[in-house]
Parts: sequence; structure tokens; C-alpha cells
Amino acid sequence: MTRELHTLVCLKVVPKSEEVGVDRETNTLDRANARSEINPPDMNALETALALKDRFGGRVSLMSMGPPFVIPTLRVGLAMGADHAYLLSDRAFGGADTLATSLTLARAIEKLGDVDLVLCGEESSDGATAQVPPGIATWMDIPQATYAMDVDFEPGQRHLVVTREVRDGEEVLDVPLPAVVSVKVSCNEPRFMDTGRFALLDNEELVTTWTADDLGVDREHLGLAGSPTSVAGLKEAAQASGRRRELVSGTPEEEGKILYERIIEFLRGAGTRGQEAPG
Amino acid sequence: MTAPTREVLLLDDDRWDRVLLATKGEAAACYQCGTCTATCPWGLVAGPSIGVRSVMRRAQLGIDGWAEAVWRCTTCGACEEHCPHEVPISDVMLGLRSLAWEERSVPHGLSGVLWDMHWDGNPWGRPPSARSAWANGLDIPRFDATKHSVLLYVGCTASYDRRGQKIARAVVSVLRAAGISFGTLGDEEPCCGDPARSLGNEEYFKRIAQANSHKLAAERATDVVTVSPHCYDTFTHYPGIGEAFRVRHYSQLLRDLVAERKVSFAGLEPTKVTFHDPCYLARHHDETEAPRTIMAAIPGVSIEEMERSREETLCCGGGGGRMWMETLPEDRFATSRAREAAGTGASYLVTTCPHCISCLEDGASVAGARNLKVMDLAELAVLAGIGAAAPTEASR
Repeated sequence: MTRELHTLVCLKVVPKSEEVGVDRETNTLDRANARSEINPPDMNALETALALKDRFGGRVSLMSMGPPFVIPTLRVGLAMGADHAYLLSDRAFGGADTLATSLTLARAIEKLGDVDLVLCGEESSDGATAQVPPGIATWMDIPQATYAMDVDFEPGQRHLVVTREVRDGEEVLDVPLPAVVSVKVSCNEPRFMDTGRFALLDNEELVTTWTADDLGVDREHLGLAGSPTSVAGLKEAAQASGRRRELVSGTPEEEGKILYERIIEFLRGAGTRGQEAPG
Repeated sequence: MTAPTREVLLLDDDRWDRVLLATKGEAAACYQCGTCTATCPWGLVAGPSIGVRSVMRRAQLGIDGWAEAVWRCTTCGACEEHCPHEVPISDVMLGLRSLAWEERSVPHGLSGVLWDMHWDGNPWGRPPSARSAWANGLDIPRFDATKHSVLLYVGCTASYDRRGQKIARAVVSVLRAAGISFGTLGDEEPCCGDPARSLGNEEYFKRIAQANSHKLAAERATDVVTVSPHCYDTFTHYPGIGEAFRVRHYSQLLRDLVAERKVSFAGLEPTKVTFHDPCYLARHHDETEAPRTIMAAIPGVSIEEMERSREETLCCGGGGGRMWMETLPEDRFATSRAREAAGTGASYLVTTCPHCISCLEDGASVAGARNLKVMDLAELAVLAGIGAAAPTEASR
């Protein structure tokens, strides 16, 4: 490959999950008091992109869909080492399900024209569908790999080597570029940002905002209008009845032994309920 | 024995400049006597000792491979106590850590600590809305400079760690017994920045210190009292320290109250206690007498000193950001410290630091010192029935 790699990372700004409540009246999520963060697996996707940039050079762009108030959170990604951020922000995008979201992102990525690799987190902490990365690949009609634990790149070749987690093992894929790859949460440790850069970043220069008009997509395919998914109902999950508690005491070795025996006992019990106990 | 290999070292001037800059020139002063290596507590445990001298030399020469030992340093300052050239070795280690960040030679998990500070405002990754849960039922007022003389700075560990919370509650009892008017910043209390500083991210620490200094000024807080010696030490590195505000560890305030006879103790049955000096009081701030003055004022308490006490104290292993790194059981200084404490015949191992308490309780457990109770000085004061002093004849 002669041209430098241009990696685009999709970042979603989400409410901190432990601070989201449920409005009992309307059965909708109450995010009013929740602070924002970058969706945790998206941080792993960004680290993957930056590690590739460290090794092979190239550029890393960020893309997010959301209201302008997410810009301060996107700055974190820029301070980690990304070169530019694109924010897709328009009332027309509001209420999008994964179909409309992946279409919007795909058209914006196509508008950039030179993206080699699209990296995403495996799923979002607030939606947890994991449908957006495959959706982007489908709309763009390019290869995809999901649940990646490692993404490697051979300079001079226009393909990636992706190690992917599957049940009972791993799969190593050869993925031609351009492609979409979603990474597993915790597949790496996101580097801490450069706080000096964080303070000095120029939003005007580094964040480009695109509206629906910039993408040239028919509005009936965007936002709520373009979203066939609707939430038919919401029910409270039954609370596990009464947590059992037992205090084990002894030296750390003794406590460890007791815990080990309890866990083995529990796993054996699970085995009798139809699951195989580990050997 | 393998034959020594010869390799020509080409010194990298740029790197040397970076080392000098990161250590503020202090790395240059080391003349390789080796006193530091001999006094380092890593020599007492099973794991590899830190060749402090070798770290210094490698840093001076710009030789790669120094980072591993740099991360094991607890910044206890034992080496500095004896360094004939008075090299501030802890600060040099922190400076070298900043280079390690630049080179991404950082142990796994430490970026996560800084991210927790960024997203949650504390190194434990707990929500800010739970920060003042330690004070449930205590009815502690929000600090108001027009009503309170002291801002009690609780700190992250005493706010969130279950064991630490008991220390914070004991400190509140001490302040109330003495009639001190105080408040806290509640859920708005920021992290002092100690983890950023002790993990060598000076840039991040400076930004936190700047923001917190503005906050203290906006609160018009002029007298800050901390629960932890680490927060106390961290505040002393703030801009404006000593001018806009002063900071004291709570033991220093309590020492003054004892000396001024504003508090007294009902006392204990005859009890032997031994005292573990936290590095960040005894060595980094030369404060060894405040806790002893307080304990000496408690009827029934007799102090059995350990051999390694005052400025010769043995680090618990939790300083220098080591609280956020894993230490193998056989490498924990606190285990041998607990044995040393048990050897004095004391019933109580008293200290004044939430990190020391965590490490020493673990150490007492590993050492099997079941008759040794680890407690904070504030907890001892409460146990000994601290109260407002009875009016003396003279004041009647």
C-alpha cells in the first residue's frame, strides 16, 4: 500500500450506565442526571487505531452522531491522539435505530472518500445491540470482522489480520481493505490522554459538523422516520430474591481455599442443572 | 558464570536532555555511592531489589530498560534520608515516570486509574454522587467560610474505601470533641491529584492543582485539614500554598489541641501500642512528634517503639502509586512490618494513613499476627474517650 492508512473510529457518547434510571410513569430511560462518557468499547477501538498509527503512521479520524453537547467528550479522543473529529448533528438524525444510524454513518464515511479502515466498539453500553458495525459494512458493501481481540496490519499489503473471539477459541481472518472491524471491550488498555493537548485543542479547527443536508440522504431514511424499530413495551426484571452472604475468615491462604471450594461446589451444582462442569 | 559482554554505548544527547528536564536536573547530582540501594526496602523482600544507583546511572546515560524498577519505587524516601548528595530521589523517580509515560512503558492498569480520575473524579472509579456516603447519619455541614474555620478535606480513599470511611468518621468525632467548627465539600470535593502526581503524570497533576486552587479560593477556604498524609503532601505542591491557604494533617491539628489542653482523654486500661510512621509525614514532612505527643496524653497508653521508627520508618508499600499496582504477597513490606510490630508485644499497631492501614491490615493477616489490631490514631483517640478538656483550676 503506497498511501498511508486512514482509520476512522466511530465513537458514541453515552450516559454512564450506572447513572441512568427508569421513569416509572413513562417507562422510558431517564438520562437527565447521568454524566456522559465515551462508550467504553469505543475507547478500545480508538486505542487499536492509535496503536496502528504508532506503528505504521497514517491518520485517525473520529466520527460520532449526536447533539453538539458531545463535542467536549469528543475532545478526549482528539487528546488521545486522533487527528480530526466529524460530528453528525441534525434534528433529522434524532430517534434513529440501528438501521438509520448505520446508514447515516456509512454515508458520512463515504463522503470522506479515503477511509481504509472503520473501527467500532463491539456494542454500545446504552443500546447493546452490536448491530451498527455490521450495518455500516452492509451499507458500504465492504468486508467486516466483529468481536476482534487484535488487529494487525502488514505494511505494503491492502489487508488486515484480525484475531476474532469465537466460542471456545479464536479465529484469525485475513480481511481485505477497506473494511469495518468491531473490537471487544477490554481487548487493550486505552492510553490516557495528553491533558496538555486536551486543554489547548481548537474545536473550530479539529471538529467538523455535518448536517443531514451535507450527507445528501433522503430524510425518510434518517432518524425516527427511517427507523422501523419501536419499543413495544418495557417490563421490570424480577429482582433476585435475597442476596446470600457468608463471611469467611482466616489467613489469605485459608480464605482462598474456602472460596475455591465454594466456587467448585457451585460449578458442580451448575453441572447438574444441565451445563457441563469444567474438567 | 557467563563471560561479560562488551557493547559500545552511544550516548543519546537528546535523551540525556529529556532526562535532565524531567528530573529538573536532579539526576545529574548522583555520584554513585550506592547508599540508596543499600537502604531501599525492596532489599528486605523476596523480589528483585531496586538498584536505585543503577536506575540513576541508566537515567544519566540514557540507557533503556530502567522503567520496570522505576514503577516499583514507593517513593518512601528511605534512600533520601541517607543520600550524601541530598538527591531528591523520589522526585527523580516521578520525573523518570513521566518519561515512561511518553514512551508508553507503563504497567497495565495505570492508564485506567487516570481515566477514572478524569471521568469520575477519583482513582477508584466510583460515582461522584456517592462521595459523601461515608458521612451518612453524621449530619456534616457543607463548608461555609463565614461559619467554619476548617475545611475538612476527606480525600478519595477515606471517602470510598470501606475501611477508610471508618477513619474519616473517627476524624469527625475528634474534631467535634474539640469543638472545631468545620465543614466538607460533600460530593463536590475534588480529588487532590495525588494519584496523577505519584504515577508521574506531572502535566495532569498541574492542571488538577490549578483547578483545585481556584476552587479553594472560591470557597474562601484558608485552613485545610486532611485525613490522609498523601493528600496533605499533595496540597503542599499546590500554587498558593502557604499564602492563600495552609494545610495540615489532622494529627498536627490534634497535637496542637492536646498541647493547648483543649481536649483530654478518659484513657484506656493499661495498653501497649506501637506506632508506624507514614513516610509522607515522617520523611517527606519531618513530622514524627505530633502522633507521639497525642498518644502520650492518653492515660493508660504506653508506646513501644519499633526499631525502625520515626524517620527510619519502614514503608507500608502503598506510596508512590503502589496502591494501584499489584504487589506479590512475598514482596509486601507490610508483612515484615506487622511482624516487627507484633514483636514489640503491643496490642495496637497505630498509624495515621488510610493507605498504611490497608497495607498493614493485610500484612498482619499474612503474618498471622492475630492479636495485633491495626488502627488509625483518630480511632485510638475515639476509643480512649476524647472529649473537650475539663476546665482547669486556672481557667475557672
